[in-house]
Amino acid sequence: MPAQRTYGMDHDHYAWSPLPARPVLRWPDGKQLALCVTVLLEHYEWEPPADAYSLRRPSGGIFPLPAPDFIRLTHREYGHRVGIFRVLDTLAAHGVPATVAVDALTAEHYPWLTRHCHERGAELIGHGVAATQLITSKMSETDERATIARSLDALRAITGATPAGWLSPEGAESARTPALLAEAGVRYLCDWPNDEQPYPMTVPSGTLTALPMFLEADDEFALWTRRMSLPQWTALVVDAARRLHDDGATTGRLLVLNLRPWLIGQPFRIGALAEALAKIMQLSGVWAATGSEIAQWYRSQGHGG
Amino acid sequence: MSLAPHRVDYLPIIDRPRIEWPGGARVACWVAPNVEHYEYLPPRDNRRNPWPRTPWPDVQGYGYRDYGNRAGFWRMLEAFDRFDLRATVSLNLAVFEHYPEVGEAMVERDWEVMSHGIYNTRYLHDLSEDEEREFYRDCIDTLARHTGKPLLGMLGPAVSNSARTPDLMAEAGLLYHADWMHDDQPVPIMVETGRLVSVPYTTELNDVPVFLQHYDTDEFVAMAKAQLDQLWREGEQSGRVFCLALHPYLMGMPHRIGQLEEIFDHLRSKEGLWLTTAGEIAQHFLDHHYDDFVAHAARYRTDPAGGKGA
Repeated sequence: MPAQRTYGMDHDHYAWSPLPARPVLRWPDGKQLALCVTVLLEHYEWEPPADAYSLRRPSGGIFPLPAPDFIRLTHREYGHRVGIFRVLDTLAAHGVPATVAVDALTAEHYPWLTRHCHERGAELIGHGVAATQLITSKMSETDERATIARSLDALRAITGATPAGWLSPEGAESARTPALLAEAGVRYLCDWPNDEQPYPMTVPSGTLTALPMFLEADDEFALWTRRMSLPQWTALVVDAARRLHDDGATTGRLLVLNLRPWLIGQPFRIGALAEALAKIMQLSGVWAATGSEIAQWYRSQGHGG
Repeated sequence: MSLAPHRVDYLPIIDRPRIEWPGGARVACWVAPNVEHYEYLPPRDNRRNPWPRTPWPDVQGYGYRDYGNRAGFWRMLEAFDRFDLRATVSLNLAVFEHYPEVGEAMVERDWEVMSHGIYNTRYLHDLSEDEEREFYRDCIDTLARHTGKPLLGMLGPAVSNSARTPDLMAEAGLLYHADWMHDDQPVPIMVETGRLVSVPYTTELNDVPVFLQHYDTDEFVAMAKAQLDQLWREGEQSGRVFCLALHPYLMGMPHRIGQLEEIFDHLRSKEGLWLTTAGEIAQHFLDHHYDDFVAHAARYRTDPAGGKGA
């Protein structure tokens, strides 16, 4: 497609909107920063379907190994067996509700775990089928609809309700994904790491609010891809939250923090999360909430979407 | 049901039979130096190149590792002696033949030998079933020849495995497999015949990935202490496993040995630790907890609520 050098975005998913030009955003009770912690329960498959797309350099393990790579497979599995409970306990200890993104293979094959998260009060959101089955432009529309339906159905079977939120496996989308999600009843989307506030997405049917995740604080991006040290990561998250909190006095800000139990849930890492949350929750104007609470509040304030 | 490779039942760590270590210890600790030989000109493998940096030979890569046996091992040995720690050595068994002095030093100290294959440049992923059976026979015979002891467990050579590996290990009479990074406790691994357990090794608290990925020794020490302290807190409810994975060519270096001793000092100064070996952890688990774990897991299989009702 040749570039059309016209005002605004080069796609139709949302409108161009420089932050200072927006109406002022206020959070409940005069809070300045909404904090949404999303915990990812991703299943990494032993043998993905032949036509599935995976990241070329997936995280976990030690270095790329020929199959069968027991090391990477089981490293990722650590989150489901052990890490998740440390992460949920740490969030609870700091009064931070959990928004848990659960993929279909996890929901279908770990019903105890999925139900456990639900019963502890976590909000469950759609997360595709598996970390080894990404939604990309290589997927047909039929397959993409089926992927979304399977993911939402698997969670409906546990909670009895359509998940309000969505985070794609590895944050990967086709150009159709927002439209198909909205059509399927999803109300908010966390894939695009492009803002400090929610914003309305443009979809043909339904309503979709973007809750942009904060990529640089994401545990995988920081600790695995960029190999920051733990003290550096804690400082990054706390510095970002403090500045967003202060800037939120003018117009409210949002911090969506992605965490992976196989990674931040390791024994030597969990203390870094506890330290970061303790410092963030000391700030007077932090509203720690689930994705739904934040998206609903945003829409209720007449910001569209 | 469990997902492929169908070898482990799901058991959340917060709902399992309680593990009790000897003496009421909270954490079973094993320290695993990897004593290895990477061949100068290994046989070509279709799927993995141990020396990708230059056309073979790569004398820098080879020499970095060879240093471990010539110098680093001996310095590391002194540190183990100073803190009276018994290692579970993850051994390329051909080291017994190439470097008998290294083998004798380990035998003298009664270190437990875990197989890490024959060479770190010969992998399991493309072996036929018969070739892999022969491989275990070789490992078992080599260890018996040099130590008179039975082989108890394996960390795959250069962490390579085949899909059949757990079955063939159990068939050969091994007790534990260390290539499972999925847990802080041993768990049963389903095999065709016999019994096999995982004893958690670590690719996180392991000097190779840590140092190759931009951290250095101070971070490694902080990680090790934080890991042990967290597991110790949790070990009050049910026993945990702490593993420290080392390589003499890295942690045996002169600028790192002081920090290795700092970790050893932390291990020695904490109450409630069972300083032991992977084989003893596996045997204790088999003797006292394996059956309970299998029975508990069966409840999850038949009832998705995990036997707790709705």
